[in-house]
Amino acid sequence: MPYFVAADCVDVLDRSCIDECPVDCIYEGGRKMYINPSECIDCGACEPVCPVTAIRSDLRIDPADAVWRDDNAAFFTGVLPGHDAPIGAPGGAAKTGAIDADTELATRVPVSPT
Amino acid sequence: MHDVDLVVVGAGPVGLYAAYYAGFRGLRTAVVDSLPEPGGQISALYPEKMIYDVAGFPGVRGRDLVAGLRDQAEMYAPTWLLGQSACQLERLADGRLRLTTTASEVTTRSIVIAGGIGTFSPRPLPAGTEYLGRGLDHFVTDPTQYAGHHVLVVGGGDSAVDWALTLEPLAASITLAHRRGRFTAHASSVARLRDSSTTVLTPYVVHELSGRDAVRRAVLRHTDSGDLHEVDCSRVVAALGFTADLGPLNGWGLRVVDRHIAVDSTMSTGVAGIYAAGDITDYLGKVRLISVGFGEAALAVNNAAAASDPDAALFPGHSTENAA
Repeated sequence: MPYFVAADCVDVLDRSCIDECPVDCIYEGGRKMYINPSECIDCGACEPVCPVTAIRSDLRIDPADAVWRDDNAAFFTGVLPGHDAPIGAPGGAAKTGAIDADTELATRVPVSPT
Repeated sequence: MHDVDLVVVGAGPVGLYAAYYAGFRGLRTAVVDSLPEPGGQISALYPEKMIYDVAGFPGVRGRDLVAGLRDQAEMYAPTWLLGQSACQLERLADGRLRLTTTASEVTTRSIVIAGGIGTFSPRPLPAGTEYLGRGLDHFVTDPTQYAGHHVLVVGGGDSAVDWALTLEPLAASITLAHRRGRFTAHASSVARLRDSSTTVLTPYVVHELSGRDAVRRAVLRHTDSGDLHEVDCSRVVAALGFTADLGPLNGWGLRVVDRHIAVDSTMSTGVAGIYAAGDITDYLGKVRLISVGFGEAALAVNNAAAASDPDAALFPGHSTENAA
């Protein structure tokens, strides 16, 4: 039951979470962060530090969030715009660097007026 | 060179309990951990958090649970081999095992791997790794070593803030640099930090460290504007958290799947003399909880003891009747 990043992260990208993750499984996309479910070890260190509580656990899932859980997985298993192949499980976000792309779902989130 | 009956690899909560239990069974015990202090995931990831699901404790702070487990293990005075990583494991001609760490060699009859999520390594400070041990460190083991120095602390978590607060009365000056405006440390600690004489610089990262034999200066870079800012410092503490990795354990000939070691109901890895307990194990129905790990530690030690000594019973009796 890995953790995942929901819509609250879009256009915030605080990144406090990546400081906490001991296995470096939180990757930076264009508009939000994504947790790689195949690399997440369920330690939960990321969840409390997000200032907009975007990180959710698979265990206490709100129906509205289920789509974001699946979307976190899709970021790694699908082929993102501008890429030829899925990102897969690269074994660490620090090695990979920021990925300048988002899933379709994240791309469709309206930009909030500031 | 140490010679013992049982080596516990990993001094987290499960490893500490395994060390107590091995001592209780009269086994000469050594405990190895790459971090300088015991506590494993609790100390590295959540020492201040309240834990509610440990048997016997309606609520216990992580660091207090670790302290209690350490006291319990200390009753039988195991050999502590902390601040060293387990590297190589070999079988000797007489069937015993030899474990080589970064600082020791230990021969033993049995091993209990309580490796958790792997060896914790401090996150490196990208701009300054060559100064490790020459003014740059990831831990403050002896605050007096910082007295009179100009100190730079890097990081925004509880470790960074706590160390800045600890060193502030001793140091000639303290600067804390964090790459974000928000701290993940406790709000009250951050408030005390801002009230202190510490110069808090956010959002800055360390661009470069310089100095001939040791650190003398740091150049910080503002993460938005790119502006550079120089800080004189002869001590740097990089408290950037930890990453975990199974590392050398992958090469020990064990059934490792997805960062876990497969065990049977005796907690044996299938390799003679090698057992595992805690989060690192995997078996049908495994649930990764501290309380589950405690049970596995007792199973592993009891089975290791029985397997290595034909005269030893699997069940050693109750602790209330015999302190061995």
